Amino acid sequence: MLEFRTQGYNGYSVKYSPFFDSRLAVAASANFGLVGNGRLYVLELTAKGIVAEKWFDTQDSLFDTAWSEAHENQLLAASGDGSIKLFDITLSDFPVQSWQEHAREVFAVHWNLVAKDTFLSSSWDGTIKIWNPQSSASLTTLPTHSCTYSAEFSPHSPNILSSVSSDSHLRIFDLRTPASASNHLTLSIPIHTPPKPRMGAAASVGIAPSEALTHDWNKYRDTVLATAGVDRLIRTFDIRAPNAGPVAVLAGHEYAVRRITWSPHLSDILLSASYDMTCRAWTDGSAMGVTQVKQENMVHQEPMALGGGRQMGRMGRHTEFVTGVDWCLFGAEGWCASTGWDERVLVWDCRALMQ
Amino acid sequence: MFVAQERLSQVSNHLSAASKSGKQSILEKHPDDVVVTCALRTPITKGGKGGFKDTAAADLLLGAFKALIERSGIDTNLVEDIAVGTVLAPGGGATEFRAAALAAGFPVTAAVKSLNRQCSSGLQACVDIANQIKAGMIEIGIGAGTESMSTQYGPQAISEFSELLESHTEAANCKVSMGVLSEKMAKAQNIPRSAQDKFAAESFQKAVEAQKQGLFDEEIAPLTVKWTDPKTDEEKTITVSKDDGVRQGITAESLGKIRPAFAKDGSIHAGNASQISDGAAAVLLMKRSTAQRLNQPIIGKFVQASIVGVPPLLMGVGPAAAIPVVLQKTGLHKDDVDIWEINEAFASQCLYCINELGLDAKKINPKGGAIAFGHPLGVTGARQVSTLFTELRRRGEKIGVTSMCVGTGMGMAAVWVAE
Repeated sequence: MLEFRTQGYNGYSVKYSPFFDSRLAVAASANFGLVGNGRLYVLELTAKGIVAEKWFDTQDSLFDTAWSEAHENQLLAASGDGSIKLFDITLSDFPVQSWQEHAREVFAVHWNLVAKDTFLSSSWDGTIKIWNPQSSASLTTLPTHSCTYSAEFSPHSPNILSSVSSDSHLRIFDLRTPASASNHLTLSIPIHTPPKPRMGAAASVGIAPSEALTHDWNKYRDTVLATAGVDRLIRTFDIRAPNAGPVAVLAGHEYAVRRITWSPHLSDILLSASYDMTCRAWTDGSAMGVTQVKQENMVHQEPMALGGGRQMGRMGRHTEFVTGVDWCLFGAEGWCASTGWDERVLVWDCRALMQ
Repeated sequence: MFVAQERLSQVSNHLSAASKSGKQSILEKHPDDVVVTCALRTPITKGGKGGFKDTAAADLLLGAFKALIERSGIDTNLVEDIAVGTVLAPGGGATEFRAAALAAGFPVTAAVKSLNRQCSSGLQACVDIANQIKAGMIEIGIGAGTESMSTQYGPQAISEFSELLESHTEAANCKVSMGVLSEKMAKAQNIPRSAQDKFAAESFQKAVEAQKQGLFDEEIAPLTVKWTDPKTDEEKTITVSKDDGVRQGITAESLGKIRPAFAKDGSIHAGNASQISDGAAAVLLMKRSTAQRLNQPIIGKFVQASIVGVPPLLMGVGPAAAIPVVLQKTGLHKDDVDIWEINEAFASQCLYCINELGLDAKKINPKGGAIAFGHPLGVTGARQVSTLFTELRRRGEKIGVTSMCVGTGMGMAAVWVAE
């Protein structure tokens, strides 16, 4: 396990470069992101450990970062003052571009993985905005009317994007639909919907909606997303059956889940980071050959659990809330990085934890 | 700083909603909490001799109801159900208690039931009402208990066991006298008489001290009853306002002289077991939102209860079995609890439970217990609620647990939070 200290700054997000297997970006904030400066680190994994190659200081806290898919030296930062900044690591100090349209904290930025010429941002002001780095104003604004903690482009289509927000809904937008009163919204799935009644299982009780904090598109199955949030459960949904409720429910985190990310290598594996100070690796039970939990063994199982998924490993080395986790796209499948409020970035091999 | 405040509350929302159990979450106030807005009891008096020796159980209950209506100022038309715990009344007392409710001023629309879970009947009544409120069956209800051991205690309380019951060992054990089996348990668990006498003497001393300081005054509703003087046979009208079973000057040494009651070499005697008593208690329960709407003062809330079975011959271990269950259900640690009201059926079983659970003796029955002022069977569970809440509030503490062992081998426990 490699470690880097973001001295004086509490981590909020970590992302591996899509171009270099040894480069990481970390968005961090002083004073736990409540008040004060932000700092965007560009870290290099070297034979001597993790080295800060560059950092950029910002006026307000930083809550997320995303690498440009088009330019290997550029990356975005989502700021607490509502601005989005594009930095170039060959330059110093100042961003090459800054956009100020959001009225409140920007909590997510994500680059379009297919078209590579646009990116999006989501904010506590209840909107998602789509941007082109060449253009000084946003291209589109999609309202969610609810504090939107996480938004992402689909990795399979340049026109489809999704969000989760504090109103406990997963929204899917398709930009190809005509501009209308629905603002490209094509699906709105209540995350707290209980699973459909099954044979041989007690009818599920209704559960209260709770804030959804994070979600991610599966990298192999283009209709599958995972969501997680304050109710501590990770759920997967298949948007082909939006009314069927969750496909899998993974229970185990003891506090709210702050970030989840599907493996770029295996279609059933995902990583989560939580306020309970752990990162956990899960299978959603969809992979061939994963042994299903037998019915008679389910007595002591979490009542909410569904779909045969299970926790495969847990990384408990952080000593504060874990806020960011990401997979390395290159090399052996299993390297990942995490960051949290303990002012640390940890780089570790997930396979070492798997059981 | 405004932004920082907002960001902080955003993050704390993520966390607060996540913790579904534990001390923090049970201290939270929610509109759908089941709260207590009034809890009181009549004095508890000595069976056969005390102030209520000639008063019927239903009359005691009537007195408690009247006091509850007066103190709480509740509109009686809003009370939908009343559960009354009682153990000895023939026919469960169902008819008299319904009549007592009507006579006390409740309209015919207020339903009444009686129930019997032996020594935990009073608690079961409160829990039943709380659960009915939680489930939405009723909005406002009363959990109560009443018992006249003076008039109804005796062998007639149990009918003969059939052959089918007698031929089953564990079933037949259900009718072994509690004194006898507590004696056996004290021996088996190695609880010496000296420890029992010390515990019992402390119960008396705590109760005497509490009486002196007037700590019971708030929970007791004095009751005026007819009383026949045993010396002159003259019928008088007296007002009872104090527990008359509490005796001054009891020490472990003075108790040491009493002859054991159940076995020659035994350790249990009248001084270290609960007294036979008369009394009644009532607890007014409703949702927090209802209490706020009606301007009822909230004195505390009901959180959770547990009921477990134990072998009939080990009836006294009930609290040791029920308390861990209720703690587990609420996510509490035993150190989170400020006061334990554990019924002192016998000093031996109460001590056993305390030792078994490793509880802090200072937190147990701070105003004394059934050894000092009596255990009117069906009342105790409801009585503990008022005793607990007044003491928690006086000390500025929050979390309390009431528990008791139950004849035929059960234990019940409940978690309450004072506000």
